[in-house]
Amino acid sequence: MTNFFSFDNLTYYFEPGGRSIQVSGAVEPGNVLALQGPSGSGKSTILRILARLLEPAGGEVVFRGQGWLSFPPLTWRRRIHYLPQKPVMFAGTVLDNLWLPFGLAALSDMPKPGRDYLEGLVAAAGLPPSILTQDALTLSGGEMARVALVRALLVEPDVLLLDEPTAFLDEGTERLVQTLLCNWLQEKKERAAILVSHKDEDLQAFPGLRVVNITPSEREG
Amino acid sequence: MNHGIVSISNGQLALSLVLVLITGLVSAFLRLGLLKSLVWGTVRAFVQLTLIGYVLAYIFQLNSLPVIIPIILLMSFIAAREASRRVNEPTQKPLLVSFIALTASTFLVGLIVVGLIIGPEPWYSARVMIPIFGMILGNSMNGISLALDRMYGEVRAHVAEVEELLCFGASPWEAVRGLVRKAVSSGMTPTINSLMVVGLVSLPGMMTGQILAGADPREAVRYQIVVMVMVAAAVAVGCLLIVGLSYRKMFTKDLALTGDMRRSIG
Ligand SMILES: Nc1ncnc2c1ncn2[C@@H]1O[C@H](COP(=O)(O)OP(=O)(O)OP(=O)(O)O)[C@@H](O)[C@H]1O
Ligand SMILES: [Mg+2]
Repeated sequence: MTNFFSFDNLTYYFEPGGRSIQVSGAVEPGNVLALQGPSGSGKSTILRILARLLEPAGGEVVFRGQGWLSFPPLTWRRRIHYLPQKPVMFAGTVLDNLWLPFGLAALSDMPKPGRDYLEGLVAAAGLPPSILTQDALTLSGGEMARVALVRALLVEPDVLLLDEPTAFLDEGTERLVQTLLCNWLQEKKERAAILVSHKDEDLQAFPGLRVVNITPSEREG
Repeated sequence: MNHGIVSISNGQLALSLVLVLITGLVSAFLRLGLLKSLVWGTVRAFVQLTLIGYVLAYIFQLNSLPVIIPIILLMSFIAAREASRRVNEPTQKPLLVSFIALTASTFLVGLIVVGLIIGPEPWYSARVMIPIFGMILGNSMNGISLALDRMYGEVRAHVAEVEELLCFGASPWEAVRGLVRKAVSSGMTPTINSLMVVGLVSLPGMMTGQILAGADPREAVRYQIVVMVMVAAAVAVGCLLIVGLSYRKMFTKDLALTGDMRRSIG
């Protein structure tokens, strides 16, 4: 066990003194950890905490043996990338959207990917090359989800926090996305994903997947 | 060419009550329920302006910098309070940043105008400085409250986009700069638009005043041009300062959006 990425007793109160969750888990390189629980149980909340978009009431996250607070927040979010449940597109073409992160100071060390490379990547997600010049705000829900996923893979995070990446997709495209993710995990060492999904097929698609169940606890008084 | 001042005597001033009567009749006729505010407003306007008249006369006569500066600071404070009151953001009380932005932009631009362009004798002449600084403040106040209000509104309307950028490692500034740009431009737009139509739609109050006071319209125009470009500059600086001083307040220590920004305002 290398202790690549783990979280211990992450605690969050949905309202002060009320319903709360407490979750622990760990994921090793090349593997996927799934968060399971009914709708509203706090799966997205946990992913947002892991991305340091939300502050927990307690608990710790360790990445490569170091506590999360020893990383500056921007470095952390650059390495531990959260892909939200509702895909977010910005005004402009799909190409503009895929290039958008490369305008940020945090990614100045990464070259902007070329168009050919992007065409290959969107094809792997089941999208035609012509989509690159389409207005991103006119995409369908499933297309947006896949463009957002491609954008997330492009910035090469170490841990990908996936919030129902296949929710908008039919079975065929779903399998494409699963393959894309599996390949991404194998492509380089030291990559892992934490996945929220309601679909059993998603869970079966990843070998060595482990599951953490989330059950909110009611606290009286 | 000077036609002299056509002044208003006490009797003539009293006659203006006829106009108040007209307003009152309209209010009574339509049952607008405005009579009480109308009377109170008229009395207040009369008392406030009369007092200001005496105060200004006294200050102009004193004409000393140690008196002028505190007065301008007081004006800045009142303008800052009004600007922050107009910002529709329940989680923020932007009084201090408004005051800093207003004071800094007003002094920067005002001193350029008074010291460099108009150059009265002495340079701090109260008769020039107080009205000039007052005009700058009035306009900057509108500009910064528009810009700040718009900034919070834009970020609240685009929380998902801001967080998406943060997730790629964007700094708070990188995450909101596009929205902040819109906010600054909305603060500056009214001033820039007024540059376009000035003189065509209405004569600015200051120019009207100078003309009524007997100044040659061609002279009054020169003043007006200086005043308008000065107002535009002050609004630009003020808007930039206010958003620069405020945007970080939408983020936590961890450089994520605060919970307040993610909640809808009720
Ligand atoms: N800002 C907030 N303020 C108060 N409650 C919130 C806030 N955000 C989320 N919640 C509540 O927290 C709970 C957990 O939400 P979360 O989005 O994490 O659920 P989830 O497990 O991802 O559900 P789903 O499967 O439907 O996506 C929900 O009951 C939600 O209403
Ligand atoms: Mg969710």
